[in-house]
Amino acid sequence: MNAALRCADHTVVRVSLGWMTRNKSRSTGSNDTSRDLLIAVGNGDREAYVQLFKFFAPRLKTFLIRRGLDSMQAEELVQDAMVLIWRRARSYDPSRAGAATWIFTIARNLHIDAFRRNSRANSHTLDQVEEIDQTPDAEMLMMAEERDVTVRRALDGLSREQLVIVQSSFFDDKAHSIIAHELGLPLGTVKSRMRLAFARLRKLLDEHR
Amino acid sequence: MMITHHVSDETLLTCASGKLAAGPSVVVRAHCDMCSECRERLSDLEAVGGALLVCLSATTMSEDALARALARLDADKPDLPSKRGADVPSTGTAYPRSLARHRIGRFRWLAPGFRRSRVALNSGAEANVFLMRIGAGRMMPEHGHSEREYTLVLSGSFRDELGHYGAGDFIELDSSVEHQPKVDLDGECVCLAALEGEMRLNGFFGRLIQRILPL
Repeated sequence: MNAALRCADHTVVRVSLGWMTRNKSRSTGSNDTSRDLLIAVGNGDREAYVQLFKFFAPRLKTFLIRRGLDSMQAEELVQDAMVLIWRRARSYDPSRAGAATWIFTIARNLHIDAFRRNSRANSHTLDQVEEIDQTPDAEMLMMAEERDVTVRRALDGLSREQLVIVQSSFFDDKAHSIIAHELGLPLGTVKSRMRLAFARLRKLLDEHR
Repeated sequence: MMITHHVSDETLLTCASGKLAAGPSVVVRAHCDMCSECRERLSDLEAVGGALLVCLSATTMSEDALARALARLDADKPDLPSKRGADVPSTGTAYPRSLARHRIGRFRWLAPGFRRSRVALNSGAEANVFLMRIGAGRMMPEHGHSEREYTLVLSGSFRDELGHYGAGDFIELDSSVEHQPKVDLDGECVCLAALEGEMRLNGFFGRLIQRILPL
């Protein structure tokens, strides 16, 4: 399996590792490795936790900075996210969500919660942060692994510009008007390109099913 | 259950990326409990979020970040199971599972054939989320919205100027739409709704109600 990941800027990211290396080189960011690490963390494996931290913490920090937090705030929230990952790893179900997806939703919910806290200035505990729904009766048609392959293929099928748009929609806390200004395009054009990008993503997801 | 009105791509995306306001998120998640199609689409988009996270460039953490995290693990206690809302007032309608974690208030009379209960979110976020019970054949006052309105039909059915909606259907309206829902004759309609901004009642009667009742 090729551990290299194609990214938004079409560069290839390889991450050094030591964990689980036999003959093939695999990055922590690959689905399989993140999943195995997260399961190991669920069993209390601190070495696995260190590997997971080294890969995901700096990326979560980027995500939160793009959401509008300053470096300090982002780092504090990453700390909270990493504690939640440790606490909840035991309940992680690899058939329901890929590890990166599971981690993404934890950071996303933590950010939502922190944002509300600021506006309301009330106290909170990490335990109140919503969990990803993993109860078995919410039936899913697709297994997580299958879904991750589908998603990866669909993202590969987007043009570079579309990928940037999708990524920006996910991570940036920017009004469409600001994106339009930055790209030097009229607002209407940006909106229609966004719609096109997501229509294409959806079509690709459906096709690869 | 035949669901014909689904969540738009745009709204699902804002939900998956964590940018949808708390109230509307509750309605979207409740719809996803009832609709396997939208549940799959939401899971797809969350998986897109995961894949994109892996692809983000790394921002250097402070030098002691890992040491701090490890120190916190030592002092940490295991996660407690999250608290679930208790006493849910019965309407004879099965509530979507995700709704159970929030606190549902008592139904109060609002107008003839129209009772409403406020849903307090477990996160403590302030949001206008309501359960509404509207009697068979009843018409709601014609109204518009200062911002968006998100509605999920839990049971029964109603019709407005734009269409016909049954159990599981999700309706998202913006401020450009004014409508007057009328519940079908064959039974009560129970809906979950989130309002951003305020409801604006039209007509003499509507304005009168608005002046008397806290909507």
